[in-house]
This record gives sequence, structure tokens and C-alpha cells, in this order.
Amino acid sequence: MIGDIAFGQFIPGKSPLHRMDPRVKIVLIFLFIVFLFVAQNFVALALPVLAALAAIFLSGVPLRQYLKSVKAVIFIVLFTSVLNLFYGGGQTLLKLGFMEIKSGGVSNAIFIAVRILTLILLSAVLTFTTSPNSLTDAIERLMKPLKVFHVKVHEIAMIMTIALRFVPTLLEETDKIMSAQKARGADLESGGLVQRAKALLPILIPLFVSSFRRAYDLAMAMECRCYHGGEGRTKMKVLHAGKGDAAACAVSCLLCAAVIVCNILLPGSLT
Amino acid sequence: MSEFISAQDVSFAYDPEEGQAPRNVLEGVSMRIRRGEFVALLGHNGCGKSTMAKLFNAMLLPTGGKVFVDGMDTVDEAVLYEIRRRVGLVLQNPDNQLVASVVEEDVAFGPENLGVPPEEIRRRVDEALKAVEMYDFRLNAPYKLSGGQKQRVAIAGIIAMQPDCIVLDEPTAMLDPRGRSEVLRTIHRLNREQGITIVLITHYMDEAVQADRVIVMDDGNVLTEGTPREVFSQVELLKKHQLDVPQATELTYRLRGMGFPMPCTLNEEECVEALAAYLPPVQAG
Repeated sequence: MIGDIAFGQFIPGKSPLHRMDPRVKIVLIFLFIVFLFVAQNFVALALPVLAALAAIFLSGVPLRQYLKSVKAVIFIVLFTSVLNLFYGGGQTLLKLGFMEIKSGGVSNAIFIAVRILTLILLSAVLTFTTSPNSLTDAIERLMKPLKVFHVKVHEIAMIMTIALRFVPTLLEETDKIMSAQKARGADLESGGLVQRAKALLPILIPLFVSSFRRAYDLAMAMECRCYHGGEGRTKMKVLHAGKGDAAACAVSCLLCAAVIVCNILLPGSLT
Repeated sequence: MSEFISAQDVSFAYDPEEGQAPRNVLEGVSMRIRRGEFVALLGHNGCGKSTMAKLFNAMLLPTGGKVFVDGMDTVDEAVLYEIRRRVGLVLQNPDNQLVASVVEEDVAFGPENLGVPPEEIRRRVDEALKAVEMYDFRLNAPYKLSGGQKQRVAIAGIIAMQPDCIVLDEPTAMLDPRGRSEVLRTIHRLNREQGITIVLITHYMDEAVQADRVIVMDDGNVLTEGTPREVFSQVELLKKHQLDVPQATELTYRLRGMGFPMPCTLNEEECVEALAAYLPPVQAG
């Protein structure tokens, strides 16, 4: 069943992270991701990692959810770490034919693995604790300054909202069309890759046709409800940052400052 | 009752496809909708009733004649949004008219477009959801609701704009019997309790019977109009235009044809009463 695909991965809850202003969350997560890459030695790197672990703890989301999201990227992590093993200076630890693994390579590999894993975990914290709606809402407000450059911020956010709204509807429709085509003898499961791709055509075409019809209907319904773009529009839910958000900002800024201090005082671990 | 919408000698033609002559969907239609009234607009597919609905809220503009909403000409662009706010339109497919992925945010969409302040929107949304008995579902995702529930959310989305009139274009055509009765009960209550003018476009005769007034359209013209009893007593006229009458009306009509002097009945109860008059009284014991 197609509809079973988890979407948005939002896990409802009442944790302090769920209650945070989505704008603040996006900015802070982004800040930590940047500082993951600013960190030049293990002590500095440990700080954003600690922050990520604290966030995971505070989110109240079961750990297996995080493990699932890590599992999805484990191959990429291993691949990049193994590649990094062969770069870097220092003592030679192992000689494999013409390749040699040096101590610098090992620390590089660990460094990069930790960076990618933390990055994944941080973005998982964001999507697990923020509903798609507040995410779009926050993105709309955060991008508002871009209006100066004639970026159609409101339109982009509206497109995201509508896309999110119609994902389940279209999945359901795909399911229906697939059943209808199967009932007429369409074979979707056998044959090679090319054959299977070809078999998808009779599903995609009706799906497209109906999507256009839906889009037409929706546009009309929106106009009927006086939609005329972002001009003069208000919002029912006004985002406002509270004390918790201020505290989170303060702690984050301190951590980031500490990363810079560590970078300056301690020798770099990357070669 | 004062006049709310008035269509005067309206004709309308859609843009013709290439190489084809434009064909009038409406040809000189005049009709009035009075304030607070419940009107059913009946007719075949393609008789122009959906076009009429879109003319009422300035989604379409007449190619001939005039449409006035509370005295405002729908051609006047300055009052376009005022007209659309006052005359809400609910469409047939409940899936395609909900915008947001949370029920309460969808209901807020209309007032947000009108620039209503946030606290006021909150109040209106709660009120509108209570009015259609969907308040308990306010945090649900629309795709998890039944057809009747979705359609009631769509109605709430219109109510939140505080309209004077709601036009519903075959709102029950895609619903199961239970969804149909939910929607009908809701619009009848809104009409009765909040005095909202309702224009119900339908091809279900039993829905039309419950209206204050029925307007029957055929082939771009008004065929006949009046109270349900006046309209459905003209069985021959309706049949000539391949329109149905409610089943109860049909039964008493046929019995009349067979020589029983029966009154014109509109629903099951009246029909039963009329038939009972012909049956010998049940012997007690």
C-alpha cells in the first residue's frame, strides 16, 4: 500500500522542543550545522555533538526513530569515511600495496563520520518536532526579507502548503488508478526495469490528467474565498518566540562561541 | 423579504473552442433570490445551473444582461471581493476545495485572505466549525475525513467569511446517503438559525422538495418556478423536459391517472396519508 509511506516524519508531542518557535528552531539547527563544519578539532566538534544529543533527549521522540533515520544514510557515512582514511598525513599505520593509512587519515575519517551523523540527527530533530505546516509558516516568515529582491515568498510558501495538503490525496488516487489498471490486466510487477517503467505510463497519465483537473478546481475554490495573493493577508496563528526560545538561543550562542575559542586555543585535528 | 441577488436577462457563452461558433449556455435568464430564502435550482446536466452559480459570485461575468448582488453590479471590479465574501460558493468535489492540511487552518483561509485580525479569525473559525458540528475535528487532516465531513468543513470555510448567502453547486453529488443528509441538515440549520440565504443547486428532487422555492432550468432558460408544491404539481411539464419528480409525487400522479382523485404529494408522509384515506379503517381487535 503506497499510503503507508511515512511522510513529513512529524511525530506529534508536547516536549519543550515541540513547543519552540519553528523559526528559532530552524535558525538554531542551521547554526549548529554550520558550526559542525567550523569546528577544527575534536574538542570543538564535541560541542555541537553534545548540543545535538541534548536536543534528541529533550525532543522526547523514541530513539529508534533516530536510529531509523541514521540507518538510511549509513552507507554514505561509511563510504565517505573509508575514502577519507587514505587522505591525511602523520605516521603510517598500515600499508596496503600502494595505499597507506596514516594516523591523520583515521582522525579525518572519524571526524567526517561524526559530522555527517550529527547533521542527519539535527535535521531529524527539526522534522520530528515541527509539523509541516509550522515549518512552511516559519520558512515564509524567515524568507520575508528576500521580498526586497522580488522573491515571491508568499507564493513559494503557498505552493509548499498545497503540495503538503495534496500528497496524501494523490497517493490515494495513485493507489486507485493502480488497482483499476490491474483490474484491466496491467502487469506492474514482472519484467525488467525498462518494461516496468513502461508499465507505469498508464498510471502516470491518468494521474496527471486528474491532477490538472484538481488544480483547476482548487484554483477556483481559492478565488471563491477571495484569495488574491499575499497582499493584505493576515494569519490566524501568529508565531511568537517565548522565554524558552530565548534560553535556547543564549545556550546555542555560548556553545558556538566556545567552538571558536577551542579552534583558536587547541591545535587542529584535521590534516 | 428584500431582494438579494437579481439576474436580469442574463446570457452567457463560454469561450468557444477554435473553429466553433460560441454557443449560449444561458439565454436571457432572469431570476431573483430574496434575502433569507432557501432556493433550490434544479435542472439537467448542462442546463446552465452551474454557470448561474458562478455568475452569482462574479467568478464569471455575464456576456449579456446584468447580475446584481445586494445592489452591486458584479461587473464592477472595485466590489469584486466584497461580492465574493457575501456570496460564498461551495463546489461539488469536497477533495479539491480544501487548501490547508489541517481543518482549522483551512477554515481560516477565507478570513486570512480578507485581512481579518488574528484573534478575530480564531473566534470566527471556532464559531464556524461549531456551526457545522466539526469543532471536534479541528486539528484533523482533511484527507482522513469522510466526504460529508469534508463538505461541512468547506461550508465552515465559507461561513467564516460571514457571508449573506451560500451557493452550493451540487454539494451532495459525490457523497454517500449519510454524507448527503449531514450536509443537508447543516445547510437547513444555517438557513433557519443564522438567516443565511441558501441557493442549493441539485438534481436530487427530494432535496428540492425541502426548499422554500424551486427554480427549474432547462436548456439555458428558466422553465418554471414556485413553491415545491406548485412546481412538482406540473408533472406533465417536467416529464416533457425529461425531469423527474419525487417518487411520492410520481405515485400519486399515476394513481390519479388511473382515476383515483388524489392530491399532489411531495413526501412519503403526505403520500401515506393520501393512500390511507382510501383504505378501509382497521377493525379494532
